[in-house]
Amino acid sequence: MDFSVLTDQFASLTFDGIALGFIYVLIALGYTMVYGVLRLINFANSEVFMLGSFATILVSTKIFNYTIESDPITGFKLVYTLLAMLLGSMIVSGLVSVLIEIVAYRRLRSRTSNRLTSLISAIGVSIVLTEGVRIATSSAPMGSPRLLDKITLVTIWGADIRLDTLLVIVFAIILLITLDLFVNKSRLGKGIRAVSMDYDTSRLMGINLNKVISTTFLIGGLGTGAAAFFYITVYEMTRFSIGFELGLAAFTAAVLGGIGNIRGAFAGGIALGLIEMYASAVLGTQWRSITAFVILILVLLFKPNGIFGESLQQARV
Amino acid sequence: MNKKIKTSAALVAAFALAFGAFATTSASAATTVKIAYQGPLTGPEAQTGTDSLRGVKLAIKLYNAKNPAVKVEVFEGDDQGDDAQGGTVGAGIANDDAVVGVLTAYSGPTIAALPSYKAKGIAIVSPSATRASLTDPTSTSYGAPVFHRIVSNDDLQGPALARVATNGVKDPTVFVVDDQSSYSVGLTKAVKAALGTAFQAGDSAAKGAVSDFSATIAKIKKEKANVVIYTGYYADGAKFLKQLRDKGYKGVYAGGDGVLNSEFPKLAGKKQSEGARLTAPTVPLDVASPKVYAAFKKEFKAEPGVYSTEAFDATNIFLQAIKAGKTTRADILAYLNSSSFSYKNTAGITIKFQPSGDLSGSGLMNQFVVKAGTIKLNGKA
Repeated sequence: MDFSVLTDQFASLTFDGIALGFIYVLIALGYTMVYGVLRLINFANSEVFMLGSFATILVSTKIFNYTIESDPITGFKLVYTLLAMLLGSMIVSGLVSVLIEIVAYRRLRSRTSNRLTSLISAIGVSIVLTEGVRIATSSAPMGSPRLLDKITLVTIWGADIRLDTLLVIVFAIILLITLDLFVNKSRLGKGIRAVSMDYDTSRLMGINLNKVISTTFLIGGLGTGAAAFFYITVYEMTRFSIGFELGLAAFTAAVLGGIGNIRGAFAGGIALGLIEMYASAVLGTQWRSITAFVILILVLLFKPNGIFGESLQQARV
Repeated sequence: MNKKIKTSAALVAAFALAFGAFATTSASAATTVKIAYQGPLTGPEAQTGTDSLRGVKLAIKLYNAKNPAVKVEVFEGDDQGDDAQGGTVGAGIANDDAVVGVLTAYSGPTIAALPSYKAKGIAIVSPSATRASLTDPTSTSYGAPVFHRIVSNDDLQGPALARVATNGVKDPTVFVVDDQSSYSVGLTKAVKAALGTAFQAGDSAAKGAVSDFSATIAKIKKEKANVVIYTGYYADGAKFLKQLRDKGYKGVYAGGDGVLNSEFPKLAGKKQSEGARLTAPTVPLDVASPKVYAAFKKEFKAEPGVYSTEAFDATNIFLQAIKAGKTTRADILAYLNSSSFSYKNTAGITIKFQPSGDLSGSGLMNQFVVKAGTIKLNGKA
C-alpha cells in the first residue's frame, strides 16, 4: 500500500475520479430510470452504450470524413461537428433502447406475469448485440479522430482541469437537473412516478402504461447515448466489449446510490469514480474492481437499498 | 415398397456412403496434409495474426507450386490471442487427423493448448510465442517434447527491453506497467530483474478492462519516472500512451513485441507515439530477404508485418520435414527433435533446436522506434 501517491497527487486523482464518475452517472441513468418503472434491471443498457460509442465515431468518420489522423478543429465547425456526433449517438441509443423495450419487454409483459422472463430476454438481446458488433468489427478496437483538442484550462493544486473532462461534468449536471425537473414537475414525469409506485392503480387512473414505459426507455437511452459521446470525446477509443466494462461499473454505481432514483445514480456514480481512482492509486490498478465491490457489499449490508434508497423512497423516478 | 425393403435399402446406402467416404479419406490422406496456424485472426490482435498467416500461406504456396507429390493445406485456428480460447482451438486442431504440425502465435493460448498437442504428439514450431516458461523444464507450462520456437524468448527480450528503454537516459527512473496476461507477467519479471535499481515502481492494469489510466499516470508522476515500460499488447498500450502524453509526460515510452503492431501508432496518435521504443525478436521481411519480400507484396498486395518472416520460416521447417518424406505427426516430431536437424532461415542463418525447444546459440533481438506514425527498425537491441 502506498498512501504517499494519494497525498502527492490528491487533486489530480480527485478531479479525474469525478470526471470518470460523471460518465458512470450518465450510463447509470439508463439503468435507474428503467428500474424505477419496471422494477427490472435492463441488462441490454450496456449495449445501448456500446452502440452509441460506435455511432459517435461513425458520425465523425463517415458523415464528416475525418480520419484517425485528422488534426483537431476549432471554432464554429468544432461546435456543430460535436453537436452532430452527440445527436447521432443520442438518436441511435434512444431508438435502440425503445426497440429493446418493444422486442424484449412489451410482449412478455402482456403475455406473462413472470418478470424473470424479460430479464433473460434482455440478457439475450445484450448478447446478440455484443456478438453482432464483434463480428461486424472483427473484434478490433475503433479509434476516434481527436476533434476537440485536449486543452488544459487551469491547473489547480497540480490537477490539470481539461476542457473535455470539464465539458462532461457541466453537461452531466445540466442533464441531471433537467431530468430531475422533468420527472418531478411535468405531466409525463408524474405518470412515470405513478407507474413506478403502482402499475394497476395508475392504469385505472387512465395512464397509458405502454407510452410511459416507452418514454422511460427513450429517456434512459438518450442519457446513455450522451454518455457514449462523452466517453469517446475523452477516451477516443471503443470496441465491442466496452459495454460490459462500463455497463457493469454504471450498474454498480446505480445500486450503490440506490437504484431507481436519479439522485442516487448521481451520488453512486461520483462515489464509484472516486473509489476506483483512489483504490487504483493506493493499492494498484489490479485491485480497483475488488475494492469497488467490497465497498458496494459493505454499503448494502448496512443500507440494503443503497445510499439514497430509503430516505428518498417516495422520490423514486 | 414395404417397410423392410426400405430399411435395408437405406442401410445399404448408408454403408456405401460410409465406405465411400472412408475410401476417399484414406486415399487423399497420403497426398494431402495440413499445417495449422493457431493465432489471433479476429479480435484486437488480428493484425499480428493476419500478418503471420500470410507468411504461412506464402511458404505453402511456393512449396505446392514445386512439389506435387504431397500437397499441403493450411488450417486456420482463430484463438483471438486470448488465453481462454487457446484450449478449445487447440483441441479442435488436434482432432483434425490431417494436421501434422502447428504454428502457435501467442504464449498464453499456446500454454492453454499444450495438453491437446502433447496428447496427440503434434509438433509445434512457434514463430512468436516468447514466454520463457515454455522452454523451462522446471515450469508447469514446459512445452517439450512438442514445443519449439524460432524466436528468442523473454529471458533475452527482458534485458534487451530494459537496455533499449533506458538507453541514453541520464539517471533512469523506470515505471513498469503490465496487463496481467501470462505473456506480460513473464516479460515484466525479466524486465524488472534486468533493471535492477533503476526500477522504481509498477502497476497492473488488466488487459481490455481499463479505460482510464489516470491513477497509473498519477503514480508515474509521483515517482517522477522518466522511463515507462509497457509489457502488454498494443491496443491497451496505445490507449495508455495516449493518456500518458496528454497528461504531459515527456519521458521515454517503451514496449515489447506485444506492442509492436502497425496499428499501434495510429491508435495512440502520431504525435503521442513519436519516439516510442520497441523490442522484438523479429526481423522485418524486407531486411531478411528482398526476394521473399517482393513475392509477399505481389501475393497479398500488402506490406508484411510483425512476425511475417518468422511465420514463413516456421512453416518452411515443416515443409522441409515433409520434403524429407515425413508426413505423419510422429515422424515430423522425431525429425525436429533429432540432433541432426538443421534449417537455414530466410536471412541465411542456420537454426538448430535445443532439447528444451529453444534455439541453440545466442538468439536475436531487434529494436524499433516509431517515427512519424510508422514503426522503423533501429538495429540490434
